[in-house]
Amino acid sequence: MEPYLQTVSLCRYYRRGPHEVKALDNVSVAVNKGEYLALLGSSGSGKTTLLNLLAGLDTPTSGTVALEGSPLTGMSRRELSAYRARKVGMIFQSFNLISHYTALQNVEAALLFNGTPPAERRRASAAMLESLGLADRMTHRPGDLSGGEQQRVAVARAVVKRPEILFADEPTGNLDYDNSRSIAGLLQSLNAGGLTVVLVTHNHEMAQEYAHRTVRMQYGRVTGTDLAGATGGAL
Amino acid sequence: MTFRDLVILAAGNLWRMKLRTTLTISGVLIAITAFVAMVSFGAGNQAYVEKQFNKLGLFSTMQVFVEKKGQETDSAPAPKLDAAALERLSAIPGVNLVYPYDAMMVKVRLGDSVVSTKAQALPAAAVRTKLFSGLVAGIAFSGDSSRQAIVSDDLLHRAGITRPDSAVGMSIIVSVRVSTLDSALAHVLTDRGVSLFDRAKKVHVDSLLHAPYRSKVLRSEAGEVVRRFFTGFTDAQATISDTLTVCGVRQEGRMGRLRIEDVIMPVASAKRFKATGFGGSPIEIITAMSNGSIFGSTDEGESRTYSQVTLDFDPKVLYTTIRDSVEKMGFKTFSFAAEFAEIQRVFVYLDLALGVVGLIALLTASLGIANTMIMSINERRREIGVLKSLGADESDIRYLFLVESGAIGVLGTLGGILAGWTITRIVSAIAQRYMKGEGIPPIDLFALPVWLVLIALAFGIGVSLLAGFYPAARAARIDPVAALRND
Ligand SMILES: Nc1ncnc2c1ncn2[C@@H]1O[C@H](COP(=O)(O)OP(=O)(O)OP(=O)(O)O)[C@@H](O)[C@H]1O
Ligand SMILES: [Mg+2]
Repeated sequence: MEPYLQTVSLCRYYRRGPHEVKALDNVSVAVNKGEYLALLGSSGSGKTTLLNLLAGLDTPTSGTVALEGSPLTGMSRRELSAYRARKVGMIFQSFNLISHYTALQNVEAALLFNGTPPAERRRASAAMLESLGLADRMTHRPGDLSGGEQQRVAVARAVVKRPEILFADEPTGNLDYDNSRSIAGLLQSLNAGGLTVVLVTHNHEMAQEYAHRTVRMQYGRVTGTDLAGATGGAL
Repeated sequence: MTFRDLVILAAGNLWRMKLRTTLTISGVLIAITAFVAMVSFGAGNQAYVEKQFNKLGLFSTMQVFVEKKGQETDSAPAPKLDAAALERLSAIPGVNLVYPYDAMMVKVRLGDSVVSTKAQALPAAAVRTKLFSGLVAGIAFSGDSSRQAIVSDDLLHRAGITRPDSAVGMSIIVSVRVSTLDSALAHVLTDRGVSLFDRAKKVHVDSLLHAPYRSKVLRSEAGEVVRRFFTGFTDAQATISDTLTVCGVRQEGRMGRLRIEDVIMPVASAKRFKATGFGGSPIEIITAMSNGSIFGSTDEGESRTYSQVTLDFDPKVLYTTIRDSVEKMGFKTFSFAAEFAEIQRVFVYLDLALGVVGLIALLTASLGIANTMIMSINERRREIGVLKSLGADESDIRYLFLVESGAIGVLGTLGGILAGWTITRIVSAIAQRYMKGEGIPPIDLFALPVWLVLIALAFGIGVSLLAGFYPAARAARIDPVAALRND
């Protein structure tokens, strides 16, 4: 079966004066539909860079990213926007909530660009926040929410549009054990519902526990792949 | 993202930055206020002039005259403004009335004074047109043969009459020095204001039944007639007088090529004064008698020509179409509509000059908008990055910023139009009170025509959008990856 997303010899270099930073160097990975993939690597290994390229937010220095066989590099800006608007959910390493929007408005923003009617946007966003236990926090601004609450708003924003693929960049990085567990559980249940998940983490145990497959990265390169995890085995 | 979404997002953002938004809007508001108030002044004066023109029906009046000698083209000799030409002019669609300029030198006795001036004959229908509607006292004469006259206030002034209404009903004796056969004929009818009618009144009608009395009267009257005829015939410079009643007083004012004389008489009343201009020499009269033209010339015959004819036409008809028809006949025209087009040009320059000042202010305000928007971009890099990650296209971001600058423009412009209007009302009220105090008829110095509102809207919003273009393009180009990196 054709992978949902596939990179071939993907490179992303940053030029900083005389130096060239190889944030990604010749990375070839595939993400299958319905898969729960973990990206494991130390800080600076290029995990976030890879996610941005997979989401079509960044353009590679060389190599290709293909979405169900068609290269993202061949798409127009508008097509890339539509891809993100309809198919991609993203949870950022830092919450990246819009500070002057309320929790509800932050979630609603995810539905602005995929043609959802305003009333439905409000309804779906409120329902999503409610299901994450934030029913009485909807009109709060991010600054008035705890870290865990902010992260849950970020999760709600990422999944409210019912994306095909979720990129989660260390969603539990700043959270305590209980909050981490609940987010991890949420991702797992979404995956069980058919959502493809790409999870970035430093956390071995978490990768082991939830992912079908773990890709290990170092210095912008893929250093190994483990078929592991609770449910075991790749699709 | 729908326009509604854009407006909601933009409004939220502008509301969040209340102070900054208010200051930026104020810039636009002040500029538009200045623009509206100043151009409104130009427009007000223009409207005033236009109203005056309209009141006099000057837009529906055209003067037709014969091309002067020397300007004639060789191919087509200038046609004459004769009865046939008048006929053809009145046949032009849209022309209501055609009347010639038919004037003569007269001596006028009014009250105790005698004044030399010019008189002209006008049909009663012409006197009823708007052109002559502005009488300061009295009314227009009732018919073409009524023995009435309209005089100018200037004539009254020269005759030592200060109050126009006191002149209405006064007798006016109009005398013409004629030098033609008809002076002789006319002499039979009138002599220094003593008409035959007056003489007839002295005859005892009943006594006419008695033959001796009748023959005596006839003899004396016939002798009188013959005497008068020959007096007029031989003394070609004889004077014809007629007594009319002043029925109306009009305000003096000669406008362009439109000549209005001090005394206006009905056509039939003026007929008896008609002179076609034999010199004083009896030889001319005898020549005219021998070739038969002498009687034709005294009459409203085919041969009579005029130097100028006035057309009164339907105001709904464009003056240019009338003008074209008239000029096709080979005549020259003068119309106030054409003149007004010139005046309007002057007003366009005035409006432009006033408008430019407002536009400079608007340009300054636009820098304020650009500055506000650029500041806004720098503060909202993360928001822009997030929106892009959520699927916003560059165009969405661009529109968002354009709607924000546009909203500043709309609010500033609407406020400016309102403020400008308020200011002009206040200034106008003060000015009118002053005019009243000075005894000047109060006029409104300002006008806010629809076109000014539309131009103000177009400029205010247009300039605001233009000011937003660069910031919007910059916002749209923000790299989401860089904007989202945690720092
Ligand atoms: N805009 C940039 N300019 C220069 N270097 C960059 C830029 N963005 C990323 N890098 C470099 O690329 C490398 C990969 O960065 P990336 O953010 O992908 O790492 P990461 O694996 O997500 O690390 P972390 O676990 O700390 O988030 C790093 O060495 C980083 O310094
Ligand atoms: Mg990272």
